[in-house]
Amino acid sequence: MLPVLQQLIQDTFPEFLVQGNNENLSLLVLEFLRSHVPFLASLPLSVSHLIAMLAVCVIFVAVVPLLPLFLVLAERKVSAHIQDRVGPMRVGPHGTLQTLADGVKLIFKEDHIPRQGDKILFVVAPYIIFACSFAVFAAIPFGKSILVSNLNIGIFYIMAISSVVVIGVIMAGWASNSKWSLLGALRSAAQIVSYEIPIGLSILAVVMLVESLKMQEIVMNQGGLGVLSWIVFRTPFTFIAFFVFFISAIAEVNRTPFDLPEAESELVAGFHTEYSGMRFALFFIAEYANMFAVSAIAATLFLGGWKGILPGYDFLGGTPGFVIKTLLLVFVMMWIRWTLPRLRVDQLMNLCWKYLIPISFFNILGIGIWVLIFQNDKHPAYIGISLLIIILGIFGAYLVLGKRSSQSPAPGASSA
Amino acid sequence: MRQYFSNIYLGVYSVFVGMAITFRQMLKPSVTHQYPYEHSFEQKKNVRDIPQGYRGQLFNRIEDCIGCKKCEMICPVDCIDITTEKLPKGERLWDSMNVVHLKDRTEIVGMIEGEEKIEPDTTVSIQTRERGAVEVSSEQIARVVERKPVIFYLDKFDIDMSLCMYCGLCTEVCPTECLIMIDTLEGIEYSTFDRTSLIFKFDKQEMYDKPVDEASETEAAD
Repeated sequence: MLPVLQQLIQDTFPEFLVQGNNENLSLLVLEFLRSHVPFLASLPLSVSHLIAMLAVCVIFVAVVPLLPLFLVLAERKVSAHIQDRVGPMRVGPHGTLQTLADGVKLIFKEDHIPRQGDKILFVVAPYIIFACSFAVFAAIPFGKSILVSNLNIGIFYIMAISSVVVIGVIMAGWASNSKWSLLGALRSAAQIVSYEIPIGLSILAVVMLVESLKMQEIVMNQGGLGVLSWIVFRTPFTFIAFFVFFISAIAEVNRTPFDLPEAESELVAGFHTEYSGMRFALFFIAEYANMFAVSAIAATLFLGGWKGILPGYDFLGGTPGFVIKTLLLVFVMMWIRWTLPRLRVDQLMNLCWKYLIPISFFNILGIGIWVLIFQNDKHPAYIGISLLIIILGIFGAYLVLGKRSSQSPAPGASSA
Repeated sequence: MRQYFSNIYLGVYSVFVGMAITFRQMLKPSVTHQYPYEHSFEQKKNVRDIPQGYRGQLFNRIEDCIGCKKCEMICPVDCIDITTEKLPKGERLWDSMNVVHLKDRTEIVGMIEGEEKIEPDTTVSIQTRERGAVEVSSEQIARVVERKPVIFYLDKFDIDMSLCMYCGLCTEVCPTECLIMIDTLEGIEYSTFDRTSLIFKFDKQEMYDKPVDEASETEAAD
C-alpha cells in the first residue's frame, strides 16, 4: 500500500520532493518535522510529506476561523466609533470576548431547516461557501515560505475558486424556499457575475506587467525600491486598476454599499434569511474570511505583498507587514461600509458596466503601451514618471472637472 | 463625454468627502453613558434642574423622629416598617436640642447659646456633642427646629423603596416633618444591582447605648 502511495505522490507532485527549497509551508513543516521527530524521519519521504501537508491543513483550519472572531469585533467597534457609540463593552475587557460569546450562542441554537425547502441543498450550501472562501487562502503568500501552495496559476486559481461561492449562494437562496432568500441569491448572482469582469481586467493589468500568474512571483517583482516598487505606483494605469479592483472586490464580497444580496431593509437578510445556529455562523465566518482574503489579494497584487516599505531594508516586511497591510485594507472596507448608503440595483449595474469595465479596458490598453515602452523596468526614473502622471492626473481632474461639477451636480450622477 | 468624466470625478470626490466626515466622527469621544456604572448626573450632562417638592427617595432625619408610626399607618403599600420600645416613665435618652438647618441643606444639631431667637447679622454659637462650639452666621441659617427629648428606643425604621409608590402621604402626616422626599438628583437616581439594597434603614441605635443583638444589627443609610 505504502509504496503505491509514495509512487502516486511522486508522480503527481514531483516538485514537492525537492529538498532544500522551502517554497511553501508544507516543505517548511516537513523539514522541521524530519529534523525534530525521529519517527517521521524513518518514514519514506512522501509519507512524511503527506503528514506535513495535513499539519498545514490543520494550522489553516484552526487559524482562519479566528480571523472572523477578531474582524467581527473590529467591525462592531469601528462602526460604533464612527457613530459616536462605544460598541460591545460587557463581555471581557472592552467587549473583547463578545464574538466568542456570540459564537457559543450560535452553536447552541436550534438548527432549523424549512419544511418545504430542499433539504439536501439547504444543508450543503453553507459548506460550499465556507470551503470556497477557505480554499482562497491556499494561494495567498503570507511570507517568503508561508504559503500553502505556490501554484503557477495562483491568481487564476483564486479567481476561479472565489467564483464558486456564487453557486453556494444560489443554492442557499433556492433551498430556503423563501422569497427573500431567492431574491437575495439572484441579486448576488447578478452582482458577482458582473463584478468578476472588472476584477479580472484589473488583475490582468498586473499580470501584464509582471508576466506571471504566480502569486509569489508577483510579490517578488515588487521588491527592491520599497514603497516605490509596489505595483500601485509603478504605472498610472495600475494605480487606477487598484481602485477598480478594490471597488469590485467590495461588491464581490457583498458589503455595503454593494450589499444588495443581503439588504436588511429590503430582504430581511438575503440568501441566509432562513438559516440559524451553526449554519448561519458558517455564512458569517465565510463573509469575514472572504473580506480578509480579498484584502490580502489586493495587498499582494498592488501593495507589495510581504515585501517591506523601505528600499533595501526589510522594514515592515514579512508576514507581520503583510497582515498589517491587509488589515488596513479591511479597515478601509469597514470605513466605507459605515460611510456610504446602499446602491439601487440599476445604479449597481450602471457603475459596473458603464464605468468600471470601460475604465478597465482603457487600463489594459494603457498598460500594454507602458510595457511596450518601459518593459517592466523598475528604474526609479520610470517610477518617477508614473508618479508624476498620477499626481498631474489628480490635479488636472480637479482643475478641469472640479469647479464645474461643484457648481451644478450632474443629474443621476453615479457614485464610484 | 465631459459629463461622463465629471460623473466619475464627482463620485470619487463625494466618496472621499464622506469618508473624511466619518473618520473625523470616529475620532470624537463617544456620547454613550455606561448607565449602571456611570450616571449622567455625575457628569452633570443633560440634566435639568429638579423642581422643588419633587417626590424622590424617602429620607428620615432620624434625630427628629418621635416614632409615632403615623407614616407606617397611612402608607398605602406598607413599605415602612417601624419597631419602637418605650423607656420607663421619666427616663430620657437625650434632652431636647436645637436642630439648625442651614441654607446649603446641611444641619447642625446642638444647643444654641444665648437667646433662642436669632437676630439678623449676628453670629450664632451652637454647642454640639461631637464638634464642640460651632459658630454660624445668621444669614446661613434657614430655620431652627426644636428636637423633642428622646424617650423611646427606635429599633427599626425600614423603608422599602422597591415597594414605594411615591404618593408622599407619609411626609404629609409626619408631625415633626422629619420624613421627607429628597428633591435632588441623588433622590431620583439611586438604582442598585441588588433589590435588598433598596431597603433603606433608619434607626436611632447610633444615638444611644442600648445593647443590640448581633443578628439585628443594621446600619443607617446615608
